[in-house]
Amino acid sequence: MNGWILAATVLLTAGGGAALWGVATGPLSRRVVAQNLSTTVICPSLLLLAQGYGRTSYVDLALLLALLGPVGTLVFARLLADELTGDRPAAWGLTWTAAGVGAAVVLVLCAVTGPSRAMVKLLVIGALLISGNVVASRALSGGLRGVRDG
Amino acid sequence: MADAVIVVALLLTAASATAAVATRDPARQALVLAVLGLLLGVVFTVLQAPDVGLSQLAVGSALTPLLIMLSVRKVRRRGKEGDK
Amino acid sequence: MSRRLRLWLLGVGGAGLAALLVAACLDVPAFGRRSHPYGERAVRASLARHTANVVSSVNFDQRAYDTLGEMSILFAAVLGCVVLLRQAGDEHRADPRPAEVALPVRRYALLVLPVALVTGLYVIAHGQLSPGGGFQGGVVAATALHLLYLGADYRALERVRPTGVFEVTDSLAACSYLVLGLAGLLAGTAFLANTLLPYGTFNTLSSGGLVPLLNAAIGMEVASAVVVLLAGFLDQAVEIEREKGS
Repeated sequence: MNGWILAATVLLTAGGGAALWGVATGPLSRRVVAQNLSTTVICPSLLLLAQGYGRTSYVDLALLLALLGPVGTLVFARLLADELTGDRPAAWGLTWTAAGVGAAVVLVLCAVTGPSRAMVKLLVIGALLISGNVVASRALSGGLRGVRDG
Repeated sequence: MADAVIVVALLLTAASATAAVATRDPARQALVLAVLGLLLGVVFTVLQAPDVGLSQLAVGSALTPLLIMLSVRKVRRRGKEGDK
Repeated sequence: MSRRLRLWLLGVGGAGLAALLVAACLDVPAFGRRSHPYGERAVRASLARHTANVVSSVNFDQRAYDTLGEMSILFAAVLGCVVLLRQAGDEHRADPRPAEVALPVRRYALLVLPVALVTGLYVIAHGQLSPGGGFQGGVVAATALHLLYLGADYRALERVRPTGVFEVTDSLAACSYLVLGLAGLLAGTAFLANTLLPYGTFNTLSSGGLVPLLNAAIGMEVASAVVVLLAGFLDQAVEIEREKGS
């Protein structure tokens, strides 16, 4: 077990546990925020695991999650828009903290990788992850107010 | 010690699967299911099966929630129409 | 045949099957051993055919026939959904109402859509080199298209998604998998045998012989199947309503 896998384990235990607790209990507004948080915690863990196992091709998993995780949150924001009109979940502190963790992991991995195509891929994943996370939070906190089809 | 990450991933998956079963409302269940999908992806990764993990992430993160939530919406709308 | 005889037959057959399964289980290698007879042979065969991703080699070369079955399952499942979710006689279509989506969300959806499509194609094209392949990439590409529904509204999605075209593409892709298999038969080898094309240079995009082509066929099939499946669900959830008074 090396430092990267240890870091991934810690991140997974703390972040994954928190996201799971948030998504399984409490009001609906808290649960959607926790679902969004789960993407921002697990994607950096996958990056750390790829580095820890020394297998660059595992990075594809993080890329896919950074792309599709926020899409999943947008699905909930869109189709639960009616239920969420009462209390708008706004957890900007949490959102930016999670984004900060993601950015830190990506930057550390970039520093280790050095300038190459792998680094460009890491930066793309980081950009997708953080922008997706922020936009999904925006959508949850009232970005889809006028949506009422059906 | 080297297996700690596998233990953590398995425990989280078991906990989220239990939570998904224990949740009654389908919309909330879909939220737990989305998290369960991501955790399963992690389990497959730490067990060195990235191909399966990739399938799980592709299906579980956006497609399954979309299918479930669309079905929930249809059923609720039909219920409303029936009340009229 | 009387009821009693049938029960006897069932009992004998079941007992025989159970005995065989138990006998098979007793001979299964122990869990977590150092030697992996199947794994070693699969890796050797995969390397001999210049396929870097052994899983892809197993799926699309050594056991390509299994994948044909899996593809047919998906095809049949989607076909069933299309039949089940069709517009019934007592239902009519209401126009979907346009949605107001906040500008950042809309911009994000329109920016990520092409990125996700390209990623889907990348995952399909690199199936023989890195984790991934037709199924994963196809799902990503199909999901990407639905960002138009999430970031704009259903009308925008309907404009770029003629369901009929995707249904035809689905069938054509399924057929192309069969045709690729039959090509082996015509060339004098076996069905779906990976002997027709040169194996190429190891760890490059054009390596693996038939594997990339089969991957592409599966990718096309899965992507259009998912689009058709979601179209059925979306039509039901957004557009189709029951006639009043029925």
